[in-house]
Amino acid sequence: MNPRLVALGVAAVALLALVMQTLYVVDQRQQVIVVAFGDPVRVVNPPGRNEAGLHMKIPFVEQIIRLDRRNIAIESAEEEIITAGQERLMVNAFVRYRISDPLQFYRTLRNETTAADRIGRLLNSSLRQVLGSATDNDIISGRRGELMQQAKADMIRRAQSSKLGIQVIDVRIKRADLPNANREFVFRRMSTARQQEAAQLRAQGEQRKREIIAEANREVAVTLATAREQSGQIIGEGDAQRTRIFANSFGRDPSFAAFYRSMQAYESSFADGETTMVLSPDSAFFKYFERGPSAR
Amino acid sequence: MAPWNDNANPGPWGAPSGGDDKRDGTKRPGGNGGGGPRRPGGPDFNPDFNRLTERLRDMFGGAGGQPTGRLIAVLVGGAVALWAASGFYVVQPSEQGIVLTFGAYSRSEEPGLRYHLPSPIERVEKVPVTELQKTDVGGEGAAGAAESQMLTGDGQIIDIDFSVTWRISDAARYLFATRNPDQAVAAIAESAMREVVGRTQLQPIISTARGQVQQQARDLMQRTLDQWGAGISVVEVQIREAGPPPEVVAAFRDVQSASQDAESSVNEANTFRNRVVNEAKGDAARIIQESQAYREQAVRDAMGEAARFNQIYAEYRRAPGVTRERLYIESMERVLRSSKKVVVDGKGASAPIILPPDVFRPKSQTVAPAPAAPAAQSGAAQQGQTQSRAAQ
Repeated sequence: MNPRLVALGVAAVALLALVMQTLYVVDQRQQVIVVAFGDPVRVVNPPGRNEAGLHMKIPFVEQIIRLDRRNIAIESAEEEIITAGQERLMVNAFVRYRISDPLQFYRTLRNETTAADRIGRLLNSSLRQVLGSATDNDIISGRRGELMQQAKADMIRRAQSSKLGIQVIDVRIKRADLPNANREFVFRRMSTARQQEAAQLRAQGEQRKREIIAEANREVAVTLATAREQSGQIIGEGDAQRTRIFANSFGRDPSFAAFYRSMQAYESSFADGETTMVLSPDSAFFKYFERGPSAR
Repeated sequence: MAPWNDNANPGPWGAPSGGDDKRDGTKRPGGNGGGGPRRPGGPDFNPDFNRLTERLRDMFGGAGGQPTGRLIAVLVGGAVALWAASGFYVVQPSEQGIVLTFGAYSRSEEPGLRYHLPSPIERVEKVPVTELQKTDVGGEGAAGAAESQMLTGDGQIIDIDFSVTWRISDAARYLFATRNPDQAVAAIAESAMREVVGRTQLQPIISTARGQVQQQARDLMQRTLDQWGAGISVVEVQIREAGPPPEVVAAFRDVQSASQDAESSVNEANTFRNRVVNEAKGDAARIIQESQAYREQAVRDAMGEAARFNQIYAEYRRAPGVTRERLYIESMERVLRSSKKVVVDGKGASAPIILPPDVFRPKSQTVAPAPAAPAAQSGAAQQGQTQSRAAQ
């Protein structure tokens, strides 16, 4: 009974091993290279073919190597790049690629670690070449998209000529910044520009203030002068009417009018009593005073 | 039970049906509730069961008796049932279930209780499709400054913190097309924002063009993600904070306060103008009123005097000589009544007549020492001040 059980167990294990050596699962996200004695025999589920699922291979003879089938990112370290205008820029970019030809990929790069290294360097040299012939202005603002397209085209070309077996999907510049030393300059420039703006604003405020005050002063002067003009007019009118009235009235006997008016003037002139009069007894007023009642 | 057992054919299906039988067998004692002995079940049952146990015994080398065989059968059956039941799963309302058959995409399942063939044949990956995902760029993170400071189109540096809200629009693509899609979103977000900011000027980003920048960054992100076939839809790019970097914030603030200053200068001036102009208007009105008053007064006075003259003149014409004389004398009387008087006879005076200064002092100041009678003084007046001309 024991030997039979052992035999059964061994058989089951052997069967299981055989099954596991024969069958293998290829995930939707993977592609597989089947290798026989180190020699790639065939490829399962490469991009463009939908072969994920359960597969069979010759047990023990064929081995499988799994590779990613998805879109993979490699980000470059931040590197200083000297642009066409001799400015320095700290550039950081990433490339997204897919293993499009697993056999070629396997032959050239073996695995993803070496691939990351190789593609990273490739990205770097492409960036240097493309960005090195552009100005920093182009990189930062004007032609960024275009330059990224150029870098992508360059990378595609290089990847093809090096037979990397990858498809470059996208190259994107993530950051393109000034080195720290230059940032200080920018900050200073920004500050001085703001200071200039602030001074300008204040000066404009002052200008406006003075304009308003001057305007107000003018308005005041004009208002008062106009009032005085009108006032003169009115006073003149009054004087004219007064003159006309007197002329009409006094004109009837100018001699008497002069006498009458003089009397009034004397009275009002000396009414305050502050006047000391030095009189001659010869004056008309003293006629009787001096010569007595018979004076004529 | 009995007919089923009778008909049961243990031929090729011996093992499974045996399993079922055995389960029935174990249940039966309880179900019957008879409390009778276990062994003697039904006469119709025994032969089948015996055959099964015999087989099992054969299979496992005849070790153990009938109880062991049954136990093993129970265990195996239970394991199979459990295995089969492990295929049940729940897809939450916010999720979509992606079922893989031996790693290959087979179907997408909507929310609810679902079943897939048990592992390792099928398995499910649940993807939160309706949930909004949020990726923050910049801000409080350790890499804050490097991540959030970027160059603008006019060569300045701006500090931008923003969030990207996105969701999975195609669960299968999301799972299968991109490695680390979440990281990809963050990277593309930063890249897109920098590209957009790089072609926009600083001032508009801070003030008016914020919405525009957000929209452009969103569109750029979406275009790139679509190009990758990432199965991700960018809902919104939201700039949380955009402003000058801390190094220059003071200068920017000063611009703000400068415009405040300018405004308050203008306000001051306006206050001054309002006051002064209104005062001037008031003064002008006063001047005009005064002159009108003068005119009225002058005219009325003149008319009054003219009327008075006319009246007197009418009477004067009747007796000119008498009236003239009377008017003269009355006037002189009134004039001299209130004045200080010095009457000097200058005739024959050879030397200047010196009058004491008290005489010319106003009455109010020289109260007592100037009696009104210093009529005759020593010396002679050079010339008498007379009003004789008027009397002519």
